Amino acid sequence: MAQRIEQVAEQVIETDVLIIGGGIGGCCAAAKAREKGLDVILIEKANIDRSGSAAQGIDHYEGFFTRDGMTTLQNVHNEDWRLGRYGARYPNLNVKYRLYKNQFWVFEELEKLGVPMRWDDGEPYWIPFSFVGWERKKTGLRVHWTNIKPILAKAVRKSGARVLNRTMAVDLLTNNGRVVGASTINVRTGEFIAIKAKATLIATGKMMRLYNPETPLPWKYKFRYHFCPASSAGDGYALVYRAGADLVNMDITGWTFRHRDDLTISYGSFSLNDGVPMKCYTWDGCEVINPNATRYRQLEEQGKTPIYFSFDHFTDDFHKRLEVGFADERLLSFKIAQDRGFNPKTHRYELQDMRPTGFYRVSGIYIDDEFRVLRKSVPIEGLYAFGDGTAGGTGGVAGAASGGLLLADSLPVLLKDIPEAIVDTAQVKNHKKIALAPFSVKDGVEPLELESALRHLCERYVGILKSEGKLREGLRRLNSLKGWIPKLSAKTPHYLIGCMECRCLMEMAEVHIQACLERKETRGNYIRVDYPEIDRSMDGKFICQRIEDGRPVLEMKEHVPLKPEYLADAQEEETTKR
Amino acid sequence: MYVKIDYHRCIGCGTCYERCPQDVFTWDEDLNMPGVTYIEECWFCGCCWMDCPKRAIDITYPASFF
Repeated sequence: MAQRIEQVAEQVIETDVLIIGGGIGGCCAAAKAREKGLDVILIEKANIDRSGSAAQGIDHYEGFFTRDGMTTLQNVHNEDWRLGRYGARYPNLNVKYRLYKNQFWVFEELEKLGVPMRWDDGEPYWIPFSFVGWERKKTGLRVHWTNIKPILAKAVRKSGARVLNRTMAVDLLTNNGRVVGASTINVRTGEFIAIKAKATLIATGKMMRLYNPETPLPWKYKFRYHFCPASSAGDGYALVYRAGADLVNMDITGWTFRHRDDLTISYGSFSLNDGVPMKCYTWDGCEVINPNATRYRQLEEQGKTPIYFSFDHFTDDFHKRLEVGFADERLLSFKIAQDRGFNPKTHRYELQDMRPTGFYRVSGIYIDDEFRVLRKSVPIEGLYAFGDGTAGGTGGVAGAASGGLLLADSLPVLLKDIPEAIVDTAQVKNHKKIALAPFSVKDGVEPLELESALRHLCERYVGILKSEGKLREGLRRLNSLKGWIPKLSAKTPHYLIGCMECRCLMEMAEVHIQACLERKETRGNYIRVDYPEIDRSMDGKFICQRIEDGRPVLEMKEHVPLKPEYLADAQEEETTKR
Repeated sequence: MYVKIDYHRCIGCGTCYERCPQDVFTWDEDLNMPGVTYIEECWFCGCCWMDCPKRAIDITYPASFF
């Protein structure tokens, strides 16, 4: 006799909206969906009070476009493509348009949730953003968001959403191509919970953990990342990929100078510098103009490193503002640095060689401007995504909040007439087997050890200076490393977190390497040393990958242009403003 | 060693155990107190230190951070 799902899972829950990931994005979506009268379950592998990239706080909200409008954004985007800049990778500018049109609505909605959007004087504190790339023209807000997560968590609880903390998604449940919920597990108790939902929203954040953070030891303290490791595991990327979705731009990572000094102040507050460039110097005081990966290598070969960022040409007011910024985003780091004698005026921030950071904002889940997850550019029924994990421009704090609020606001319409979810019990059973397998492994490998090996592989065989031979060897080594997956062991349910994350990261490493093999050119900070020129045939295109009939597939796709009505709207707006 | 709970100050409210983003703590049912169990997975965000109502947690960085 066929088993019922209730005989397989310890708990079976049904809801309208399942939100996977309780960071800023997921919490905003949960509160809004409840306000719209929907039943909501929010699952979070940690605890929504302190989870996601802003677990311990954040000092900036980069959500506002200049008055230039979308036509200029389109021009800047095209120009950045011509010049090969990283920021020009958004596959579909229409997503950004949704955010752009609604940025002030989002501001008001966040205030209604109790989020402090204003400064000490009661007014919004506008700051220009000086990040390199086309977003340099945007303005943002300075915010006191040390406690953004407790504030949003309170709003979520007040809304009546059901929150399952310490609960992680194992896999999505699918039925005839439609996503109908997820199999999940409590990583404190080991309880297996099947959740049926009309809509499943992925808000699991970014992926950084294919590459090492600064900590050099081969074993301990492997999580010296700037962003929360739990929301940097790429869970959502792998979940949707296994369900057949498109992942895009998986060749591209962010790049940054490894920033590490004896006070371990993390970045995040450098956005406060009012658009004035920071100055960079060699150890013996020579100014370095436009430091980048190539320039760093040259300096290293010439014996001119270490190099440092310096703020000593800034006003005293800036240095005081910097201190406030650190308190908003990284209070513990600031306190420890102060105890060790940190002086924001005189401190020199050492920059080390440029390394890949992670996949977010432009690399990841392919969505349209309704935040629907796509397969072959067509929406997958029942599946949505927003936040850092999407390659749609809904990354960053404002992207996550905006995406979550806008999607949740439109869910009642999107979910109208959706039939009840039918769940395949065999699928649930298989998920449970996968999830609990590490409990049965004796003398196996701990997940962090296997993950360390994976990160080493990506550092060594992918890295910044990519080439055919290294990438192919990386792929070969990866296939060999995958043999360890069945040996992942969990002494307690806690280790299941790492086991599931490792499984996700292994799959995503293969997607990443295959994408790098495909892009045979050098463009901006994407460097193929064996193809040092830009390949113009790749202009306006992006790499798209998915599983078809059990096999990985890769294709090049054209960037989706702005819809005519959006372009017309933006042009009219620009004309009116003049 | 790097995340230290002062058990003279700790009141067993459970906030650190409930909120840790990396699930570093476990709970001792007999003592009704938290313990730092998975220190290798700590990313030193300081949420436990910030949210402890009795400031019972002291944090320093491991040498490998420098």
